[in-house]
Amino acid sequence: MVAAQIAAGEVVERPASVVKELVENAIDAGATRIEIDLEQGGVELVRISDDGSGILRDDLPLAVAPHATSKIRATSDLDHIATLGFRGEALASIASVSRLSIRSRTPDAGEAWQLDLEGDPEAATPGRVRPAAGAPGTVVSVRNLFFNTPARRKFLRTTATEQSRCVDAVTQLALSHPAVAFVCRCDGRVVIDVPREQTPHRRALDLLGPELQDQLLEISADRYDDARGLTLWGLVGLPAIARATRAAQHLFINGRAVRDRTVQHALQEGYRGILEPGRFPTALLMIEMSPEGVDVNVHPQKAEVRFRDSGVVHSVVYHAVKRALAAADLTPTLTDLGRPSRASDPRAILPGPATPEPGGSRVSPPIDGGGPTRAAFVDYFRRFMPSGPTERLSYDAIREAVRGTGGPGEGPSIEPATPVSTDERPAREPGLAPAPRPADRVLQVHNSYLVTQDAEGVVIVDQHALHERVMFEALLARVLERDLESQRLLTPVVVDVTPAQSASIDELSPLFKRIGIEASALGPRQVGVSAFPSFLFERGVDAGGFVRALLDRAGASDFAPGSEDALRDVLDMMACKAAVKAGDRMSEGELTELLRLREAVERSSNCPHGRPTTVRLTIRELERLFGRA
Amino acid sequence: MVGGVGSEGCWMKVICDRSALLDAINLVSGAVASRTPRPQLQCVKMTATKDDGAGELALVATDGEISLSLKLGRVDVERPGEALIPADKLRQIVSAEDDEPTLTLEVEDEAVHIRGKDAHFKVFGYPPSDFPAIPSFEDVANGAGGAEKAKAVFTHSAGALETLISRTAFATAKETSRYAINGVLFKRDGKRLELVATDGRRLALCRSVLPASDKETRAISCIVPTKALTMLQKLFADPEEPVRIAITDGQIYCSVGGGEGKKAGGERAVMSSNLVEGTFPPYEDVIPKDHDKRVVFDRDVLSSAVRRAALLTNEESRGVRLSFQGKTKKLELSSRAPEMGEAQVRVDLSKYDGDDLEIGFNPTFITDALKVINDPEVILELKAGNKPGLIRSGTDFVYVVMPVNLQ
Repeated sequence: MVAAQIAAGEVVERPASVVKELVENAIDAGATRIEIDLEQGGVELVRISDDGSGILRDDLPLAVAPHATSKIRATSDLDHIATLGFRGEALASIASVSRLSIRSRTPDAGEAWQLDLEGDPEAATPGRVRPAAGAPGTVVSVRNLFFNTPARRKFLRTTATEQSRCVDAVTQLALSHPAVAFVCRCDGRVVIDVPREQTPHRRALDLLGPELQDQLLEISADRYDDARGLTLWGLVGLPAIARATRAAQHLFINGRAVRDRTVQHALQEGYRGILEPGRFPTALLMIEMSPEGVDVNVHPQKAEVRFRDSGVVHSVVYHAVKRALAAADLTPTLTDLGRPSRASDPRAILPGPATPEPGGSRVSPPIDGGGPTRAAFVDYFRRFMPSGPTERLSYDAIREAVRGTGGPGEGPSIEPATPVSTDERPAREPGLAPAPRPADRVLQVHNSYLVTQDAEGVVIVDQHALHERVMFEALLARVLERDLESQRLLTPVVVDVTPAQSASIDELSPLFKRIGIEASALGPRQVGVSAFPSFLFERGVDAGGFVRALLDRAGASDFAPGSEDALRDVLDMMACKAAVKAGDRMSEGELTELLRLREAVERSSNCPHGRPTTVRLTIRELERLFGRA
Repeated sequence: MVGGVGSEGCWMKVICDRSALLDAINLVSGAVASRTPRPQLQCVKMTATKDDGAGELALVATDGEISLSLKLGRVDVERPGEALIPADKLRQIVSAEDDEPTLTLEVEDEAVHIRGKDAHFKVFGYPPSDFPAIPSFEDVANGAGGAEKAKAVFTHSAGALETLISRTAFATAKETSRYAINGVLFKRDGKRLELVATDGRRLALCRSVLPASDKETRAISCIVPTKALTMLQKLFADPEEPVRIAITDGQIYCSVGGGEGKKAGGERAVMSSNLVEGTFPPYEDVIPKDHDKRVVFDRDVLSSAVRRAALLTNEESRGVRLSFQGKTKKLELSSRAPEMGEAQVRVDLSKYDGDDLEIGFNPTFITDALKVINDPEVILELKAGNKPGLIRSGTDFVYVVMPVNLQ
């Protein structure tokens, strides 16, 4: 019965699947230290040694018998799957295609017991179990994988590829089990060695590369954030270390490494506007939730899951990512922009030869590595940052800044940060407002770029891109509150259109109404615009030309008039039309005001298209350029 | 003194009043091209004539679109002649020589020598023949001298034209691709002259009756660039002064201060301009005729109320809400700018007995119109919140303003 309810699947595909199954078994056995030895990429030998609870002598034959899992006793247990290796067929499947040897000793047993098989799990009888020497725990050795199925063996890749997949599998498991020590050796060489009882953050940095610590932002959400039963913790990369594929995204649900479209989408949405199209953020996300809320039994390798309420998962991930990014200073430095990882091997876990970032003040939580001196240094500067990384500027502040009427507090007002729960994060000192930034001189270069300085070095701003971003955010906030104010026209402005565009007017009119445009078809080739946003009139934007451009955009196949995307698209067009252009001369007052807005607006570091609005040349980089470093 | 100049090779020589010359140069400089590949268009053309002992110096400038010609009287013309001199240098020199009551201008070849008591400037110019030929007003009016004959010629007083222009030109569009509304419509039919301007969101119309002496009755309409009208206004000195207007297919000529018939040609100034091509929107249709709510306001009270309510508007929330309350006989004006604040201003409406009505307007559009109304009383006519508002003053001024949708 139980066997019938578990979908049969190919469990053993390659050495990496052996590694995964056996390490999961070891974790389920309560191991605190797991050693993985690989020879010839695991094809010759995969040996997993743990210090877990071990297997009783009498249970050893059962452990390798097909579908004789000791973990599921009734079908109802399938609803509460909280262990990793619930699929009992794993050992049996491995046993049938390799020379398998299990040696195990329970803590109270006086000796270890061993069972050796030669590709035949049916031969696992109590008679073949023999005593052996060994410490408490279990050692499973899998030799000569696929020795009896030459056809399968042919499908294996090169030793190096198989080895890297095995190491990937260990990395995934080690990421999600920071309390367990892992040692992985390939042909005797240690490639992973992480101690037990690590924090998830420390574990992630040890595995992904400590040089990334300045490039990763910590995110979290729990019940205090209205996460509705979900706990999320993770690290997400700055835009500079985004990749061309999702290979650098690690997702764990209840400790299980999975891929999930909902989470991928939420993550990508969180980065909307700060990543160029076709770039994927680096991320490590760990979600803990009630086992009832997620169905893991939809994929033979358990690599995909199905959420009972994917909306909640999406919203928790999206908001946590957005919050962290909003609080961070995302201004790329010249080094970031020149980072070779932008075009590097999409399969590598680590980005290319990443240069350690000087300053170290760009990650929101202090890193518990990097030495006490450095952390203190970072803390010192954080206190003087214009906007503290854990604080988020409210929309009011943007308005305040837009109008240029500084309130009594001088400088933008702030609202308290969303409650944070991570232990490493210091409690925000109440009443500690960010110091107003000094009045640095601003230089307009070629009527297109603004140059000024901040605590870290030289700041270069693309005036159009920044103004566009600022206007976009202001418009978006305004539209979410109510429709844009619309000025009626004496006589409709007539726009020549295609019959398809004319026919699409009715479908578009709810969207148009939100942004203050009223248009109707006058015939198959003409559309009349009878109202247009006051704001665009003020900015001298031509109604006919703008509506024609809107209709052209709306004709694209990916444009869904009712969607959030469509609204953002059209607001983006508005912001672009209304913003200061490259080549526009700006007065000194306008320059400083625009830079003030930069401080105030979320994600001001990138324009709505994801291109950077601002680039920073750090003092360190300047010193390097002049050979003073 | 910088070395003397011999009389050989000299052409024009005039002595004129410095401040009168400066005023004239300042005026014509408005028509000098600012950016042009032809340096001759950055010049002022000077022509000195002597008729029965009375000397006259004419200054002409053009940017190819608009031309201005001014005549300076009481000039001592020693030798008649012509010169073409860069306008900015001429203006700077005449302006800087502020201790001198008079200046001597003497042309030698293509340079002009400007002499004061203790200074001598030599400014290189161009051959006067390089300057585009601009037909005289009389040639256009009569179709003489090779000029295209005007389709209509009529006369109005400077004061009346000033009123017509100031009550309409403010409502023209600025830099829109609908070129036809970048100017003011002149519509002349019989004895009526009507000027109309719109930017697509409001429309101003001002009418007047031409003087009885005018015999022309042909109907004609054309669109005149706003810039030309602004320049024309600057030429007006005396409201009683006659202004003759001649309209051809592509141009308008306005002569200020001249006589007619035998006295023709004695004008002080002539402005001519290319007309705006295109069709003016059919404005008669947008002037509402069925408005049933009519409120009489004291102009200053309404203006003050709108200006105060406008204090709490911003770029995205431009509108001021006008809420007419029939029962309490009050008008409440209110504005709300997100995150900035709100304003309410109340006005007593003892004469209002219509239904309650709410409508939003861009306050600038209202105050713009109130500024050009001289009458202390204005009339506001309305129908509904999504229908245009109508402001009237007397029988000759009508102003249509479209509402904004307030949420």
